[in-house]
Amino acid sequence: MAGNAIDQTRRMLSLVTYLRERPGARVADVARAFGISEDELISDLDVLPLCGTSFRGGDLLDIDTDGDRIWWHNPDDVAEPLRLAADEATALLVAARAVATLPGLRESDRDALLRATAKLEAAAGEAAGASARLSVTFESEGGVFADVDRAISERRRLWLRYYSPARDEITEREVDPIRLFAVGRTYMEAWCRLSEARRTFRLDRVVEIKLLDEASDPPRIELRDLSDLSTGLVQTGAEDPEVVIEVAPGGRWVAEYYPHDSAEELPDGGLRITLRTPDPGSLRRLALRLGRDGRIVSPRGLADSARDAAQRALAAYGE
Amino acid sequence: MAIAKAERLMNLALCLLGTRRPLTKRELRGSIEAYLEAGGAASGGNDDAFNRMFERDKDDLRELGLVIETVEGIDGEIGYLARRDSNRLPPITLDAEEAAALGLAAKVWQQARLAGAASGALQKLRAAGMPVAEDPYDTQAHSALEPHIPVHEAAFEPLMLACRDRRPVVFDYRKANAARPEPRQVEPWALECWRGQWYLAGWDRERAAERVFRLSRICGRVRLRTGAFTAEVPDHVTVRETVERWSGETATRTARIRLRSGHGYPLRAKALSTTGAGDGWDELEIPYGHGLDAWLVEFGPDVVVLAPDELRADVVDRLRAVAKG
Repeated sequence: MAGNAIDQTRRMLSLVTYLRERPGARVADVARAFGISEDELISDLDVLPLCGTSFRGGDLLDIDTDGDRIWWHNPDDVAEPLRLAADEATALLVAARAVATLPGLRESDRDALLRATAKLEAAAGEAAGASARLSVTFESEGGVFADVDRAISERRRLWLRYYSPARDEITEREVDPIRLFAVGRTYMEAWCRLSEARRTFRLDRVVEIKLLDEASDPPRIELRDLSDLSTGLVQTGAEDPEVVIEVAPGGRWVAEYYPHDSAEELPDGGLRITLRTPDPGSLRRLALRLGRDGRIVSPRGLADSARDAAQRALAAYGE
Repeated sequence: MAIAKAERLMNLALCLLGTRRPLTKRELRGSIEAYLEAGGAASGGNDDAFNRMFERDKDDLRELGLVIETVEGIDGEIGYLARRDSNRLPPITLDAEEAAALGLAAKVWQQARLAGAASGALQKLRAAGMPVAEDPYDTQAHSALEPHIPVHEAAFEPLMLACRDRRPVVFDYRKANAARPEPRQVEPWALECWRGQWYLAGWDRERAAERVFRLSRICGRVRLRTGAFTAEVPDHVTVRETVERWSGETATRTARIRLRSGHGYPLRAKALSTTGAGDGWDELEIPYGHGLDAWLVEFGPDVVVLAPDELRADVVDRLRAVAKG
């Protein structure tokens, strides 16, 4: 963050306003209020005494710190709270609206978001206008969301009937929920007592859910960074089997939806996509879906099983 | 060593905010050390380096929300100032609950520009007195939600700015089933994220019609064009309805299928009616929208299309292609 001059300037402008109202503020408190590390704050405090409020020069901000508290010896009325920029209003308003419309969110949270949104719109004035040009919808199954949310806050185990598209079947399992997150759609990460492993469940695939009386007791595991997760919720490893798929131009969407190792351009405008999956069987559905827009090149067994499924399906149509 | 950009910007901001009368470029140059350096011997002694830097810096400060006025003096010389009353945040009082809610919302962005803007906004609000949540968002008192908005497309930022500033753009776009990308001239209206994918709605100049583009299909750079929009921007831009139609969610017809018992849960969840058909099969009536044929084929021998004939033919055609191998 400190590397970005724009963000640092923005932060320092707010910092002088903040410090004017709080003589002797503690470094730790200020860093927390600004969402930065103490080191970042100290580096801002190194720059501020080099900055001045007057074009005549020599009139510099006399701000210093002993590493614990921060003092501004010549506070100036230049340090008034600044209006929000268009991007700032947009970033907060778009996000707040998106979260506020998420089905299943607690009413108290929704109300707080809506109140804050209205106040922000009023305070941002004109700067709020551009926020209408950006919008985000999170999808969620309200009832399932509310149950998972309750299970997490009450630390209770959940019983699920869950649909697995890879095997086209519904399984029953008990899980200890760890967290609830939205990346376009809404997901629960949980410790699955059936497989004794961490699993990610998409809420719209939960067929039935019940809160159990048993306490949830997930093992302490390191949480994954969600920005990595959003590129592919299925975690694949180098040891997983490799699958090669060739698609025609009409099948290029595969590269948009499936995390892959490589996608080489083919002369006809198609792609040769190499990906890894812990469960190659799940790609049989993909091969069927692609039809004439693509085929599995390897492994051979997977290509055969798709062909076999298609032949059996055709039998029902008298072919 | 060159003076850090943040220090230079901060000085310019403070000078412009601190003055009661417009300051000329010459005055500003004389009082900000970094500008003196920029006009020095190291840059060849000409004014170009300074002028470019000064213009860029003003733009950067404006991006941060500063309203900088340009005033022509009696002598014809241009002066600049950032008036207090046009730069002051109007009074805003947020309680702890509202502050916590905004704190959660601000974490939504991973995209660098918007993440920076969101934390910048929170910092301004904190400086204006917004309370700091005592705990990090705790799940006893609040929904245990971590919302994230994925932005992976390089086209996002230039398009966001173009929508904001109403600037026409040109980009190469590859339609879903096209072999090659084609250049498109677009007046961008709005961006929308649905199911984790970003879409742009705007006016396609060559087609003289409204179009929706998926950002992941934009190839190469988005280039800004000079000039204004030629088509009127509608009050209400509907990206989502168009995308839902693409994904077959706005079906007006229905289809009848046979589905093997215990299979095809998503089809059952959408079914308008389900009846037992004996021998381990059910008969379902389901909405028939765009893309249903491809979806049904995924279920292989567990689905048989009964009607309409057109859908049946499409499914058989797709199955034949796969059966040939």
